[in-house]
Amino acid sequence: MRVPLSWLGDYVDLDIPLDDLAARLDTSTAVVAGIEHHGVSDDDGNLGLFRVGRVLEAKKHPNADRLQLCVVDVGESEPYQIVCGAWNFGTGATVAVALPGATLPGGLVLERRKLRGEESAGMILSEQELELGQDHTGIIVLDDGEPGTPLGDVLPLQDVVLDLEITGNRPDLLSVYGVAREVAALFRLDLASPPGRDPAPVGNELVDVTIEDFDGCPRYIGRLLRDVRIGPSPLWLRARLDAAGMRPISNVVDATNYVMLGLGNPLHAFDQTTLAGGKIVVRRARPGEKLRTLDGVERDLDPSDLMIADAERSIALAGIMGGEDTEISDQTTEVLLEAANFEPTGLWRTSERMRLRTEGSNRWEKGVDPYLAEQAAAWATELIVSLTGARFVGHTDAKGVLPERPVVRFRPEQASAFLGLEVAAEEQEDILTRLGNERRDGEYVVPTWRARDLVREVDLIEEVARFHLADVPFTLPVRREMYGRLDRAQRVRRRVEDTLASLGFSEVYTPSLVEQDRDERALRLQEPITVELALLRTELLPSLVETARRNAEVGNAPVALFEVARAYLPRGDAELPDERVRVAGVAEGGFLHVKGVVQALLRSLHADASWSRAQHPLLHPGKAAETEAGVVGELHPALLAGVWGAFELDLEELAGAARDPVPYEDVITYPAIHQDIAVSVGEDVEVGALVDAARSAAGPLLREARVFDVYRGEQVGPGKKSAAIHLTFQSPERTLTDEEAAELRGRIVTALAEDFGAELRA
Amino acid sequence: MLTSLTLMDVQNLENGALAAVAGADSADEIERVRVEYLGRKSELKLALRDVRDRESGMALNTLRERLETAIDGREQELRRAELDRQLTQDVLDVTLPGEERRLGSLHPTTLTRRIVEDAFLGLGYEVIDDREVETVHYNFDQLAFPPAHPSRSHRDTFFIDPVRLLRTETSPSQIHVMEGKKPPIYMVSLGRVYRRDAPDATHFPIFHQFEGLAVDRDIKLADLKGTLRHVMRALFGDERQVRFRTHYFPFTEPSIEPDVSCPICDMRGCRMCKYTGWIELGGAGMVNPQVFVNVGIDPEEWTGFAFGCGIERAAQLRHGISEIRPFWENDLRVLRQF
Ligand SMILES: [Zn+2]
Repeated sequence: MRVPLSWLGDYVDLDIPLDDLAARLDTSTAVVAGIEHHGVSDDDGNLGLFRVGRVLEAKKHPNADRLQLCVVDVGESEPYQIVCGAWNFGTGATVAVALPGATLPGGLVLERRKLRGEESAGMILSEQELELGQDHTGIIVLDDGEPGTPLGDVLPLQDVVLDLEITGNRPDLLSVYGVAREVAALFRLDLASPPGRDPAPVGNELVDVTIEDFDGCPRYIGRLLRDVRIGPSPLWLRARLDAAGMRPISNVVDATNYVMLGLGNPLHAFDQTTLAGGKIVVRRARPGEKLRTLDGVERDLDPSDLMIADAERSIALAGIMGGEDTEISDQTTEVLLEAANFEPTGLWRTSERMRLRTEGSNRWEKGVDPYLAEQAAAWATELIVSLTGARFVGHTDAKGVLPERPVVRFRPEQASAFLGLEVAAEEQEDILTRLGNERRDGEYVVPTWRARDLVREVDLIEEVARFHLADVPFTLPVRREMYGRLDRAQRVRRRVEDTLASLGFSEVYTPSLVEQDRDERALRLQEPITVELALLRTELLPSLVETARRNAEVGNAPVALFEVARAYLPRGDAELPDERVRVAGVAEGGFLHVKGVVQALLRSLHADASWSRAQHPLLHPGKAAETEAGVVGELHPALLAGVWGAFELDLEELAGAARDPVPYEDVITYPAIHQDIAVSVGEDVEVGALVDAARSAAGPLLREARVFDVYRGEQVGPGKKSAAIHLTFQSPERTLTDEEAAELRGRIVTALAEDFGAELRA
Repeated sequence: MLTSLTLMDVQNLENGALAAVAGADSADEIERVRVEYLGRKSELKLALRDVRDRESGMALNTLRERLETAIDGREQELRRAELDRQLTQDVLDVTLPGEERRLGSLHPTTLTRRIVEDAFLGLGYEVIDDREVETVHYNFDQLAFPPAHPSRSHRDTFFIDPVRLLRTETSPSQIHVMEGKKPPIYMVSLGRVYRRDAPDATHFPIFHQFEGLAVDRDIKLADLKGTLRHVMRALFGDERQVRFRTHYFPFTEPSIEPDVSCPICDMRGCRMCKYTGWIELGGAGMVNPQVFVNVGIDPEEWTGFAFGCGIERAAQLRHGISEIRPFWENDLRVLRQF
C-alpha cells in the first residue's frame, strides 16, 4: 500500500519526524518497504526555481516548425524567453515554469541554452516532468495565477510516499484513512472523521437492485447519477492517484479508485444506459455463461462465480473486474455507482481460478468491513457530482443481515503473563480503546473494521503486544522433561557427509524437481514454473551427472561430487510418495575406484555389504554392482566423456546395516595366523564367490579373506585366471595351532575345488 | 691382596682412563680409549685375568663397570654431536607445499544446517526431518490458513493435484509431531520447502528452512524472543543484537518478524542490509490457539511458540554470499571454498 503523506495529512496531524513515523509503523503495524520522495526536490532552494508564469507572447520558432518561442513573465523585472515544444497554449496562458538551475524530479538540471539559434532560459512544464501524471501531450495550463507565485502553492510539487507491506489480517490498512487511524492510535493523535459528505439527492428515481445471493453479497448500494460529463480528473486528483500507484483514467473511474484507496472499499461504475432493463442482479453465473472483462479477455464462467448481472446477462465479475460492454466511456452520461460488500472466500476462488488479481480483489479476498459501503458511496457520490457536474437522482441500499460487532473477553493479567511483561491494566485498556475497541465490563466490543481479525482474547493480547514488543524481555522456557539428541539416521547422515568430504568429494545440492525421469509414474507438478523443474525425481544420479558435466566443462578437475537428498517414489494415485533419503556420488575414475569409495563409506559406518552384478541404465552394463542399499558402478560411457564412477545408496538401509555401537573383539590376546593361497579358476568365476565360499567353509575362525591379486597369463592357461587370497585365522578365545590353521586352509581349498574346480597354485 | 696392580695403581689407572675419556673428541678416539683401557690386552683385563682373591676381583670389576659407563656415555655424547653436525647440512625448504591430500567439502547449506541443529540440541530440542510432499490438510488447513490465503493459490504453491502439494514451509511436520504425542514438545524441523518463485539471481523455487516449535505450560512471548536471540547468536556471533516487528502468519498469534543486526557490516551499513544495519530474517510467533485445537491440544492448558527461517538465507549472511544462485549452481570453484 502506497501512502502519500500529503493525503495521510488530511486525516491526522503529521507533526512527527518521518523516521519516527516509519520506525513505529515498521515495529507495530506493517513493514515499511520504502520511503519514496516523489516529485521536486527542495534541496538548496530548488523549489524557489519553480514558478507560475504568464505567457506574454507565443509565436512559431523562426528556425523550427514544431517549436514555439515564448516570452514568459515569471514575476521578475525582465521576462524569460523559453522555447517550448507544446502547442496546447498561446499568449495569455498561465503556465508552470522551471527556471535555469532548477533540478527536475528525474534529476535533469536545466541550463540556459540555445535551441535552433534561439536562447531558451528554463522550461515550460508538463505533468510528466513534474511526476504529477503520465500526460506529456501538452504542458500544464493553470487556472489564473499571479506570475512569480511559487509553483508549490498551486501544484502538489512534492510528496513523500510510504510503501507499506500490509499483512493479510489487516485489510483495514489497505486505505489511507485506515493507516491514518492506525497512526492516530500509535501516536495518540486526533483523527479526522472519515472523508465524504453525502450530497442530497436531487431526485428519487428507482435504482433496481436485486441480491439473489446474500452469502456472496451481503450488501449492495446502488446510486444513479445523470448528466455526467466524462473528462480528465483535475490535477490534484491525478497527482494523488499517481503517487499512490494508480493510473488516472477519467473523472468517474478516478473518483471510484480514489475512494477505494482512501477508504478501502472497492467501487465500480457502470454506464447505466448499457444495462438491460436498467437493473442490477447479484447472482451466481449461469452454466455456460461468458463475460468479456475490461482487460479484453473473454472468460468462461463457472456456476460458483458471483456475478453482477443486468436483466439479461452477467456484466461484471463481482468485486474483481467489470465487463467491457458496460464500462464507462467518453460518451457516458448516466452512471450507476456500485458500493457493495462481497464475501472473501468465493471471490478469492474465482480470482484464483481465472488467475485474475486486481486492486479490488486484493481487498475483497481479505475481508472488507460491510459497514464501509455507505461511507464509500457517499464520498464517491460527492466526488462524481463535484467533478462531473452530475445530478444524484437515485439511491438504493440492498442488504442482508450484517454481522454484529464481536464481543471479546479480555483479562489484562492474562496478557501480561502471555507476554512475559507486566503491562498496567490501564495502559492495556488505553491501547485497546485507542484502536477503536469499546470496553464493556470485562469485555471489549470490537470495531467493525477489525471484526474478522479480533475475535478471541489472544487477538486482543496481540494488540497490546505490538505496542510493547521492544519492552518484552529475552528469556528461555523453563523446560520440563525434554532432551535433545540426534537419532541414529541423523548421526549416520552426518557420518556419511563427513566421510565423503574426507574422501575428496564436494557436497552439492541439486533441485528435487527435474525435467524428465526414468520412472514414468514420477509425480508431476500441475503448473511447473519452468519445464526444467516439472517432475519429482525418483533418483539423484541424473542430477549429479549433469552437475559433474558442467564442472568438467569449465575445467574444475578433479570432479568428485556427492549429495544427500530425497527421492520421491510414487505409490498409488492419490497417495503420498515414498520419500527415501539417498546419498549419491559421481567422481572421475573407474569401477574399482568408486567401489573403493563406497567400501570406505561402509567401513566408516561399520556396515557390511555383499555385492552382486547389476544392470542400471545409467551404468556400464559390465561394470555395475548392487547391494541392498543401492548401486555402484562405472558411469555408462555414453553419458560423460572419460571414465567415471557413480553410486546411489539408500541412507535408511545404510543406517540399518551400520553397527552402532561397534561390538568389541579381542584381537590382541591370541595371535592371528596369516596365510596366502592362490587358486586358478575359470575366467567367469567371480572372486566375491570365492571369498563367500571360503567363509562358509572355514566358519568364524576365518577372520578375514581378502583378494589381493588376480593374474592372467601363460602359467595359468587360456580362459583361466589366478586369484590370490589373503587369509587371516584367529580365535578370540585361544591361540590357534598351526595344525588347526592348516586344517582350515585345507577345508577352504577343498571347497573351492568342489564349487569352482579351483586348482591350488600356491 | 692385589697382585699385579696395587691400590694406588688402580686409582691412577682410573684417573688416567677418565682423563682420556674426557679428552676424546671423536668416535674413533673414544674407541681407542676403549681398546686401551678395556681391551683384551689392557692393563685392567690382564690384572683381572690374574686376580686370585675375591676382594681384588670386586674392586677391579667395579672399576671396569665405571670405565664402561664413562666410555659409553662419552660415546653417546660424541655420536649425538656428530649427528647434530650432519643435520646442519640436511636442510629442506620448509616453505615447500606438503604432499597433496585431496579433501572434499560440505555445502554451506549443510554447514549452516548443522549449526542450527546443534544450537537446538543444546536447548533440548529434537531434530526432525520430515516429508516434503504434503496434503492441503497438513500444509494449510491444520495450520489455520484462512481459505483465501494467497499461499493456497496456484500462483504461490506447487500442486500435484487438488489434494497433494509440495510443502511451502516445514510447519506440517509440527502438526505431525503434535498429533503424535502430548506436550511438552520441543522440536526443530529442517528440510526442503517449495515456493513458486521464478528462478533468478536471488530466488529459487526450492530452498531449505528450519522451523522450531515449543509447547509447554506457561510459554511466553519473552521465551520466543530469548530463543530466537540464542539461535541468531549461534549463527552470527555472540555480539549480534535482535529486534522484532509485528507481522502476520496464520499459524501464530501474535506473529513477529525478527531482525538481526547485520553480521556483514556490524551495523555500519552495507549492501546486504540495504544500509539499514538490520537484516530481516524469518518469522515467528505464539502458536495460534486454533492450531492447538486442530491437533487436540488444550490451548487453555498449553501455550507455545513457533519460528522459521531460511537456511540458505542464514548461510548467505554467514558467508557473505549476496545471491542464491551459487547455492544451486554447484560449481566446484565455489564449493571448494567451504
Ligand atoms: Zn550490513
